[in-house]
Amino acid sequence: MMTLSSYLMISFILFLAGIVVMIARKNMIAMLLGIELILNAAALNFVAYTKFVNQNMDGHIFPLFIIVVAAAEAAVGLAIVIRFYQIKETIHIDDATQLQS
Amino acid sequence: MFTNILFLMSAVLTVGGAFAVILTKNIMHACVYLLSSLLGVAGLYVTLGADFVAATQLVVYVGGIVILMVFAVLLTGGSDAQKENKFGLSKIPLMGNNKTYTIAWITAFVVFMTLIKIISNIIKYYKETEVSAYTATVEKIGMLLVTDHVLAFEISSVLLLGALVGAAVIARPRKRE
Repeated sequence: MMTLSSYLMISFILFLAGIVVMIARKNMIAMLLGIELILNAAALNFVAYTKFVNQNMDGHIFPLFIIVVAAAEAAVGLAIVIRFYQIKETIHIDDATQLQS
Repeated sequence: MFTNILFLMSAVLTVGGAFAVILTKNIMHACVYLLSSLLGVAGLYVTLGADFVAATQLVVYVGGIVILMVFAVLLTGGSDAQKENKFGLSKIPLMGNNKTYTIAWITAFVVFMTLIKIISNIIKYYKETEVSAYTATVEKIGMLLVTDHVLAFEISSVLLLGALVGAAVIARPRKRE
């Protein structure tokens, strides 16, 4: 049961769920949730390949850097969302049109 | 036996949490379902023998990022006050409607058909190798971080400093001039 293919399928489902959440939602925070799901799918693939294919430790280092980058991205993204809410009093993505005109 | 049960529970938690994030219409519930999905991923790391990565996932993701998102949801109210945009057309609701979900599912279907071709090749030609026993990984990861991957380690520290300063500058209340 615990084979490489089952881990690949789980991370595949996580990736597809992240894509659906990112496209279907118009809420900025909900789109960030989709990005977190996609990053987790990538990190899970790294660890699964480390266990089943090459068995050196490099696949454990990369998820750590993915987590660091995700933390930085969430901090800056949520700061932008809160700033946007202070200016426009909404977090609808279609209201972010100031750079268009 | 115990590992199999842990794997099954973690897989159900991960996949169920991901689908619940898709299906719910409440942003707060979506955050909580994302929490369960990330917990499931941490359990999958444990079944793969990656104890340090699992602990980092629990501390940083479950304890940090999701809490940050819950704070952002609470600070931004989460209600769409005006129903019309500046052209007088009705806006799509915040959590999406049937049209956006249709577009998203079609995109996901295309990505699915593309990736399943690659994954089926991997599954078909992958030979089962003997899996190494569970060992502690903390010491090896610590040695690798300060020898082979020291440049990425330093760059990530600079990145975190930049993100911290940038977030503080962006979210700071500005004086009206």
